[in-house]
Amino acid sequence: MGAKRKKEDAPEMAEDADIDDGGSRDRRNRQKVEKKEEFRPSMIKNKEKRSAAHAKLKHQKKLEKRKTKKAREAADKQALELGEEPPQRSVPRTIENTREADETVCKPDDAELFVANDADEFSSILRRERAPKILITTCRFHSTRGPAFISELLSVIPNAHYYKRGTYDLKKIVEYATKEDFTTLIVVHTSRREPDALLVTSLPSGPTAHFKLSKLVLRKEIKNHGNPTGHVPELVLNNFTTRLGHRVGRMIQSLFPQNPDFRGRRVVTFHNQRDYIFFRHHRYIFETKESKQQDSKSKKGKDAEDKSTGQQVIARLQECGPRFVLKLKSLQHGTFDTRGGEYEWVHKPEMDTSRRRFFL
Amino acid sequence: MPRTTTVECPGCPPIRALTFDALGLIKVTESRGNSGIPQVVERWGDADSSKRVLAASIDDRANDPILAVARKNSTIEISNPLNGDIFVSISNIGDGDAHPEDDDNDIAGLHLFKKSRSVGSCSLLTCTTKGNASLRSVDITPAGNTNNDGASNSWKVCAAGNILCAKVHGSEKHALFGGKGVEVNLWDLESSTKIWSAKPPPKNSLGIFTPTWFTSATFLTGDDHRKFVAGTNSHQVRVYDASAQRRPVISFDFRETPIKSVAEDHDGYTIYVGNGSGDLASFDTRTGKLLGCFLGKCSGSIRSIARHPDHPVIASCGLDSYLRLWDVKTRELLSATFLKQHLTCVVFDSNFSDKEVAPDAQNTGEIPGEDEQEALKPAKRKKSSEEMKGKKKSSRDYGSKKSKKKSRQIESEE
Repeated sequence: MGAKRKKEDAPEMAEDADIDDGGSRDRRNRQKVEKKEEFRPSMIKNKEKRSAAHAKLKHQKKLEKRKTKKAREAADKQALELGEEPPQRSVPRTIENTREADETVCKPDDAELFVANDADEFSSILRRERAPKILITTCRFHSTRGPAFISELLSVIPNAHYYKRGTYDLKKIVEYATKEDFTTLIVVHTSRREPDALLVTSLPSGPTAHFKLSKLVLRKEIKNHGNPTGHVPELVLNNFTTRLGHRVGRMIQSLFPQNPDFRGRRVVTFHNQRDYIFFRHHRYIFETKESKQQDSKSKKGKDAEDKSTGQQVIARLQECGPRFVLKLKSLQHGTFDTRGGEYEWVHKPEMDTSRRRFFL
Repeated sequence: MPRTTTVECPGCPPIRALTFDALGLIKVTESRGNSGIPQVVERWGDADSSKRVLAASIDDRANDPILAVARKNSTIEISNPLNGDIFVSISNIGDGDAHPEDDDNDIAGLHLFKKSRSVGSCSLLTCTTKGNASLRSVDITPAGNTNNDGASNSWKVCAAGNILCAKVHGSEKHALFGGKGVEVNLWDLESSTKIWSAKPPPKNSLGIFTPTWFTSATFLTGDDHRKFVAGTNSHQVRVYDASAQRRPVISFDFRETPIKSVAEDHDGYTIYVGNGSGDLASFDTRTGKLLGCFLGKCSGSIRSIARHPDHPVIASCGLDSYLRLWDVKTRELLSATFLKQHLTCVVFDSNFSDKEVAPDAQNTGEIPGEDEQEALKPAKRKKSSEEMKGKKKSSRDYGSKKSKKKSRQIESEE
């Protein structure tokens, strides 16, 4: 729609620009007249008539849409019968797939990237030379949802230990955790009894990421939730494409042991979409069912090709919380230091000039 | 409708910049033509995190330029900035007994002397974090034997604390050192004696004393070694005048994160300040007033700023792994080049535009890479001669071209 209008506008504007002398005014007037002639329901002043016209227009559009849909389906069917390739489905244009071109997106054949990966702070954990050991603590004052969230985090992240914050400085805690061979420190910040920020510091020298935490749903609030087992979870990291995203992804990866227990059928997902990182925690199961139940909702069951045996395998998911969204605020070089810290990346308001620019 | 093209940067005059990164790579970025877009043309060295570059210095004279690079594994490499050939690699710069991986043995400052340079050798000033400064002359014959003990003169700059910045004055007779727990002090290099040291500012009205922690320093002018500027970790920039007093003449705050780099302009009073969260601004040191900020979506700590000797351009680089070139007058971003790694240092090769003319006559056959550039020479020469005619004129030209370009852009958008 927008594109069309722009194209229509363009020649007019060009004409305006070309002629700047006295003749331009009357020409502009004529254009105005032309514009007036084109009918729009909003030009009708009587409300009843206007709404009627509008409804009519809408109905026409709906019919048109249905028509094109039917035509598409017919073409698909015909192609299927003739054994040809079905015509290509048009992909909807979303903000995400029209993101601005970014040269920092990692390329798979970049040798420098692999060397940089080997040299970074997480490589010893990801190569299983060090086992991850997480210290979880809170801000100075926390209550209600904070402790509940922490107890759920403890069940999500293996080898995580909760320590009371007390009145210690964060720098002292970093020192202590480094001495005790912790690999990561997580601070859950609570504001007005609601967890609202997460500070993840890799130890001993690694970067510090500050995330905003929102939309927290605890396990108890999820309907039909499951209870996680003690197995090491599988980890799914989606869409961490740029160099910064890659680094954040590796940081998250270093929170979990690198040897998932597939028997546990537990999966932890960090899904990045438009710079928001969605956290989900699931259990899954593969079930065999009689083919009588054709109307099962699961798509995978239909896709499975063992229909002939009368059995189908369906995968079922059960969410076992918590559920939350993270947004990166800053990535600091080195451990926590607000006064003398150097940032690798900080979110600044001047960067928000386009809805289609993403950093992760 | 989504914007599918990015906003184009105006491009910059012919510039050759060398950047040094955390993996020990040296990348050469060049922009050709009057408003070219800089591109990485060469990459020297193998990626290895133990060879992280800590400091670099260039002697960019027209014939026989050299480049010195200090690395994390306490070696200094002296190479040719035109093609990256290493002349000499000096290892184990610091104390013999210290471990190479030790942080104390890192080189905080490196300077290559430009004036007192004879053929086949050069002199270097190095300063480690611990405060061991040493002045040595190095043989750079093609044989490349590591002449370590060749006439070296070392002394201790500070008893305690860490040196974080060291800078040599343009006349190369005086040097400036400062760091964590070390007040800025001025040394005479000929006699290697301390001639002046700063005094910390008094406690504030609440009786709180901010600990001394200098992160960067620079001299203001080429002809007066007594005026200099230092940036502190407590986001303060201090202007000192050694002839007037031991406390700063003017000090002013800049944002909230530590000042990470300071660079001077040729006019003797403007300075460029970069801090830990990627803000870059220029200040007038006579009044301490902010002249303006350089805005360009820069989000990582600025580790190094360099001023081009001829063109009105500064370069900044840092942890966001972009090399950014800015116009000094309009404070506009000319271009940003993504260089993939955390950058530690940037230097300009100022002889770039007329470089093609000079080596051709003087040292033919010395540089093998030169042959490929042969084709470009006539055009290059014309450009350089144009620039010789009038710097001001060219800059104005450059501005008008920009506006023309802009108007063209607008037309195309419509």
